[in-house]
Amino acid sequence: MASGDNDDVGFKHRHESLMNCSSSQMNTNPLSDKVDAMAMSSISMYNKPSNASDPFFGSGWDPIVSLSQSESLVGSSMVSHSEFADTQYSLLMENQGISGTSHFSQYQSDPSFVELVPKLPGFGSANLSEMVGPLSLPQCSQMANSRRPPIYALIHEGGSERASTNSTQSRDEHQISEEGLVGASPNGKSRKRVPESNSPLGSYQNADEEPQKDASGESGDVPKEQDGKKQKTEQNTDANSRGKQKQAKSGEAPKENYIHVRARRGQATNSHSLAERVRREKISQRMRLLQELVPGCDKITGKAVMLDEIINYVQSLQQQVEFLSMKLATVNPELNIDLERILSKDILHSGGGSANVIGLVPGINSSHPLSTGNFPGTISGIPSTYPQFPPLPQTVLDNELENLFQMGFDSSSAMDSLGPNAGRLKSEL
Amino acid sequence: MNPQHLNASSLKSRFTRRFLRALTKINAQKPISSSSPREIFQRYGRIKAAADKSMANSVRSRRTWSRAMLWKLRSRSYRQASSGRRSAVKTSTTTSHQAIRKKTNHEKENKPTKTGEDQVGFVVQADELRELVPGGEAMDLCNLLDETAHYIKCLTTQVQVMKKIVDFYSL
Repeated sequence: MASGDNDDVGFKHRHESLMNCSSSQMNTNPLSDKVDAMAMSSISMYNKPSNASDPFFGSGWDPIVSLSQSESLVGSSMVSHSEFADTQYSLLMENQGISGTSHFSQYQSDPSFVELVPKLPGFGSANLSEMVGPLSLPQCSQMANSRRPPIYALIHEGGSERASTNSTQSRDEHQISEEGLVGASPNGKSRKRVPESNSPLGSYQNADEEPQKDASGESGDVPKEQDGKKQKTEQNTDANSRGKQKQAKSGEAPKENYIHVRARRGQATNSHSLAERVRREKISQRMRLLQELVPGCDKITGKAVMLDEIINYVQSLQQQVEFLSMKLATVNPELNIDLERILSKDILHSGGGSANVIGLVPGINSSHPLSTGNFPGTISGIPSTYPQFPPLPQTVLDNELENLFQMGFDSSSAMDSLGPNAGRLKSEL
Repeated sequence: MNPQHLNASSLKSRFTRRFLRALTKINAQKPISSSSPREIFQRYGRIKAAADKSMANSVRSRRTWSRAMLWKLRSRSYRQASSGRRSAVKTSTTTSHQAIRKKTNHEKENKPTKTGEDQVGFVVQADELRELVPGGEAMDLCNLLDETAHYIKCLTTQVQVMKKIVDFYSL
């Protein structure tokens, strides 16, 4: 799942890895990359005001907003908007450099945004304009409308439980109730979330949700909604699924940049503990990511043990680097430019061959004194063989290398089975 | 996964290029014929520093750990280069270290005062992790885990590339 993020560290890359991560957890919903990117970028855009006042961001959004407000957003303008927005999104994404993981955690805490996504077509542009504000959600929402289930599942914590709830028909109510929850910011709950969604959501919910006020028993969706509030947590208990639904304050439109956090039933509503919970959520998310990075940590449950594993792994990696640099210090022959080019090409293109080398390292260790003694004598010899290598295709060289490694370095008898080039090399060693 | 290896500006390629350039420079400085352990050890130190430096440069300043590492390397090289001003540089580095330690202590003091829901049990391991990850002293657990993930990724890349180089040379 996170195997794809081994190489590039860029924002986009991590973006994709996160998308893969969450999509793999879902049912087999085929997601178009563009839609996902749009959704995720729109989420990041959505979160941006809550993080920092970014003048570029503000200026970038204005044309989109004016566009959206001037036209009816019911789909005819979808294509043009989406294309326009797409470039804007990519531009803004480039320029903002939001870290992937924080972005990930943020969109987990943004289900109200998710609610917005499918909701738009049912409402006039007036609602949209008041809803959108500085964010040009309509484009992505329009696009997302055509793919409502996957986007919702993707954005909404990317958990499988989300996907399963998506499949229910009463998706609308479920989303509406979520919106209702968002809009209704109850008394003791800390409000730390982005604004605009509240007022129109309140209106939606008033229109459709009246019967579902406190009777959370009716549809199975409603309790499920309340489950995945803004935070995906493993601490969900069943009791929490019958959460409160305070729709009393549906009409509020707080224009603050807070993250809305909802307390579940039976949990403290103190703002401190809510903040604590958010913090713990973030930490557990990151621990999960780390779990994927560190090999052999799938079965480990418990953060303390996990941290120990991580520490051991980092230490072992650092020791490996030291060991390898020591080896390089001793084993190094003189480099000329051709070798360097070949080396870099080889290293960069044969990513799969590295696994074979691991067993070789101890082997090199034992033959080390031998090689250092031989090298001065063979330095002249080696370059003479290299002119033959460039005409070889890279794959052949790699295969020979791998064969060498697999058969063990010291057994010269194995070399007979290899091609003449490798044999000649070996004889010089 | 594999197509990304061919990405022209991936982390791996950036690191490889820089590291190879540094290696050639180091090799050009001294011929390998002298194999006294002391000189080998010096070369080892230089190669290790070059590996860390090229890794940190490939990441630029986007990450706290890379910034910390670059800072450490640079201050070390300044210290070595300027023997006359060694005392001044040392004091500046020590004072900044003290500042970082103070901040860490301050954070540590905050931890016990938090509510019981806090993960008190991780403090020990978190501190160990902080020592391992460069620049980790002054970060809270959340960011520390972020940095650790990225650091692990970069370390694995580094190890892969260096292994390849070693094997290539050992032929």
